[in-house]
Amino acid sequence: MAQPLVKKDDDRDDEADYSPFLGIEKGAVLQEARVFNDPQLDPRRCSQVITKLLYLLNQGETFTKVEATEVFFAVTKLFQSKDIGLRRMVYVMIKELSPSADEVIIVTSSLMKDMTSKTDMYRANAIRVLCRITDGTLLTQIERYLKQAIVDKNPVVASAALVSGIHLLQTNPEIVKRWSNEVQEAVQSRAALVQFHALALLHQIRQNDRLAVNKLVSSLTKGSVRSPLAQCLLIRYTSQVIRESANIQAGDRPFYDFLEGCLRHKAEMVIFEAARAITELNGVTSRELTPAITVLQLFLSSSKPVLRFAAVRTLNKVAMTHPMAVTNCNIDMESLISDQNRSIATLAITTLLKTGNESSVDRLMKQITNFMSDIADEFKIVVVEAIRSLCLKFPLKHKSLMNFLSNILREEGGFEYKKAIVDSIVILIRDIPEAKETGLLHLCEFIEDCEFTYLSTQILHFLGIEGPKTSDPNKYIRYIYNRVHLENATVRAAAVSTLAKFGAMVDTLKPRIFVLLRRCLFDNDDEVRDRATLYLNTLGGDGTVVQTSDDVKEFLFGSLDIPLVNLENSLKNYEPSEESFDINSVPREVKAQPLAEKKAPGKKPTGLGAPPAGPPSTVDAYEKLLSSIPEFANFGKLFKSSAPAELTEAETEYAVNVVKHIFDGHVVFQYNCTNTIPEQLLENVTVIVDASEAEEFAEVASKPLRSLPYDSPGQTFVAFEKPEGIPAVGKFSNMLRFIVKEVDPSTGEAEDDGVEDEYQLEELEVVAADYMLKVGVSNFRNAWESMGADCERVDEYGLGPRESLAEAVNAVIDLLGMQPCEGTEVVPNNSRSHTCLLSGVYIGNIKVLVRLQFGLDGPKDVAMKLAVRSEDEAVSDAIHEIVASG
Amino acid sequence: MILAVLFANSEGNILVERFNGVPAEERLHWRSFLVKLGAENLKGVKNEELLVASHKSVYIVYTVLGDVSVYVVGKDEYDELALAEVIFVITSAVKDVCGKLPTERLFLDKYGRICLTLDEIIWTGYLESTDKDRIRRLVRLKPPTEF
Repeated sequence: MAQPLVKKDDDRDDEADYSPFLGIEKGAVLQEARVFNDPQLDPRRCSQVITKLLYLLNQGETFTKVEATEVFFAVTKLFQSKDIGLRRMVYVMIKELSPSADEVIIVTSSLMKDMTSKTDMYRANAIRVLCRITDGTLLTQIERYLKQAIVDKNPVVASAALVSGIHLLQTNPEIVKRWSNEVQEAVQSRAALVQFHALALLHQIRQNDRLAVNKLVSSLTKGSVRSPLAQCLLIRYTSQVIRESANIQAGDRPFYDFLEGCLRHKAEMVIFEAARAITELNGVTSRELTPAITVLQLFLSSSKPVLRFAAVRTLNKVAMTHPMAVTNCNIDMESLISDQNRSIATLAITTLLKTGNESSVDRLMKQITNFMSDIADEFKIVVVEAIRSLCLKFPLKHKSLMNFLSNILREEGGFEYKKAIVDSIVILIRDIPEAKETGLLHLCEFIEDCEFTYLSTQILHFLGIEGPKTSDPNKYIRYIYNRVHLENATVRAAAVSTLAKFGAMVDTLKPRIFVLLRRCLFDNDDEVRDRATLYLNTLGGDGTVVQTSDDVKEFLFGSLDIPLVNLENSLKNYEPSEESFDINSVPREVKAQPLAEKKAPGKKPTGLGAPPAGPPSTVDAYEKLLSSIPEFANFGKLFKSSAPAELTEAETEYAVNVVKHIFDGHVVFQYNCTNTIPEQLLENVTVIVDASEAEEFAEVASKPLRSLPYDSPGQTFVAFEKPEGIPAVGKFSNMLRFIVKEVDPSTGEAEDDGVEDEYQLEELEVVAADYMLKVGVSNFRNAWESMGADCERVDEYGLGPRESLAEAVNAVIDLLGMQPCEGTEVVPNNSRSHTCLLSGVYIGNIKVLVRLQFGLDGPKDVAMKLAVRSEDEAVSDAIHEIVASG
Repeated sequence: MILAVLFANSEGNILVERFNGVPAEERLHWRSFLVKLGAENLKGVKNEELLVASHKSVYIVYTVLGDVSVYVVGKDEYDELALAEVIFVITSAVKDVCGKLPTERLFLDKYGRICLTLDEIIWTGYLESTDKDRIRRLVRLKPPTEF
């Protein structure tokens, strides 16, 4: 096996095959470099020493600053030698050493001399070195020479200047942009490489000017570009132009003919680039796609592995959006499964899995089985994921696909690979009811010999949920109980919980489960014993076999729909007292919204000292803050705090944003104010709220802010009463009122007298989404089924013309303010229908689940079916009302 | 950009490694990754037969040349086909310098010239020269013949 990190010379003892660098050591080579200082230079010896230095550098060796400086100064002496070979080495060495700015000056004059030399090759190399080590000031001095070099008739000099330009554009764009005319001229060069480099540089110079790029592409696609490399660049720039041209109707796509023409180019590189560009066109039609697929198909049987790889990689991508277009290539791709290059084989298999039809599944699986044993884990994971998708596509084939997964589960493999297989089996069990029992048994067999604690516990947890619902739960008990004997404490504890779940759910098993749980009371691990004791006591393990009540089930196995971070914080804040800890007091908001920081840029800190910490930003902190204000203390438990919404434009004198705090019968607006004028102090700051467009709200309290100095945020509050438990909505207009006092900037002291002033703020709205908490569920399907259809309300809505399906989905999510589940908020490109799953808790702590099915009705019109399940039918109706009125 | 060019001997020891735009802390990872890739796949591969792999948006083309293995890594415009062009230039230029397929000893004997050759082919991540005759002349500071 290779030992990559050992230097080449350390392990050689073959006398006949001595390495010239045997025993090389940095210190010794640095000593040798002193020959550079000899008055009589020996070019051969010097070249040898430079080679040794390069060898060290090329092996990843580094020089300290002192060492590098010393070598650099010594190397500069070598400019005295006229030996051509040595000069070439010196150029490389200086580039490798990358001297610092203060050292560069030593070689600048020598390099400038070479740059204006009559010897072309000195010029080319000096340009490359200078551009590598130069800074902006030096660059202006040599700019004139560089511009000349770009149009030099020697292509090496021109290329050196152009490639230098590409690098310099990163550091000194304004200088390089001045070379446009010369670069433009170089694009027309007869030398292929000069054309390639010039085109790359010209595009980089103009990349932000869409019109200029368009013009460049238009002119070059008409003319002839000599270099295939340049032609490839041109194709890329052309696709960029096509991408950016808006609203192209199929059929009159600009430049398509050029791309299609490139499919007949003599260079394979160009053909491929054009084919790939066509496959990546937005909204590509089958007619446009066909010629590209045909050349890619030819490449599949090329003798060159790189071409095969490129072709299958591109087809793999096409298969995601246009599987039917790729099916013609299936036979060619099947032969690639045995390709010696495993990357090609893996891509071929995953493409086939995407494009194959139901009848070819069995044949494909047979081929893959042989292939799996000799590929690395990362390839295997790709294959497993592709098989999972295939199985979801063809549920009838679950038997053979599940068998395949269970077979590979038994073979050797690392954690990530095994996890991918287990995840796949779990997903198939969830989505294909017929696959459940066999899938569970496969998982049971796996945990009999599973070396990964994480996977064992996950599977045991899953068995606890699904096992009791099967026709014969009895058969899983043996596998679970074996874990109590054979595994480590973590797995044993998980097994105890799973056993208890079976006991709670299946009454007939209960007595036997109790016997097993009692045995666990003697386990040597605390957690295992504690769990067994808890389950026996709560499930009635005292000998009476009774049906377990729903409350107990909920207590033991109900999902904890409270974020653990919030629970942890609440527990930390809880002070032991007579009153026991109430889990309902834990906030359920998923995460706190950070307050938008708003400070005038460029403002220097004043003499006010360190700015105080900003207003509290977490739900927990909001709760503390509000309960500390006597006026709001009797409002009860805080249901939700919104994200701050800005009520002023950016960069205004006073920056104000508002946070809406929702209580059962009240709403509190917290106005976070910042004074951005150093010469002013604001006092007695209040917000005058006009609630005439919010009929159900009545103002009950207002808490002014006594003083608002410069750049030191403060808060003022206004509270409203509203009908209890009702999700009242309304619009509020706001006016900031305060007394303004002049401040002397030199002393920081405010004048005694102030003037009353007002400042108009934007309106704010209380909307239906304010009464909804974003609370996710881990498994929507389970949650949906366990909620039941009793309070289900289903209706259909036309959403009218929309920009895209994704836009419609996001609008509805925002309207409802619920948490999207299982990544369903993401709408794949080009899809014409989409299902989105949402979950939340409505005011009054009512759990709500929503299933949204969107479909495109006509070209732009979006239709939506909304199914709501909740614990209260009034809430289900309320959700429909929100959508109907939104 | 061409992110890396790496030469290793048959035992996987590094002979030349040149990185462009790869942070120092990631180089060790790349080095081990490439050598492992070669150890797993290059056995029995014919000289100059290209192998290819991709990892996210980075492409790797590698091959065997006599006793040494060569790897080039690229991204963006340097995809697998462009890298195939790069590695072809590198292998033909190295063969040209060595006069035949290099043994490890021969490669090390010609080390200085090979460094110069690589310097002509790739310049901080960009392909600069593609013709081996021209490269041979440039290394000796002679102008190209076509000029």
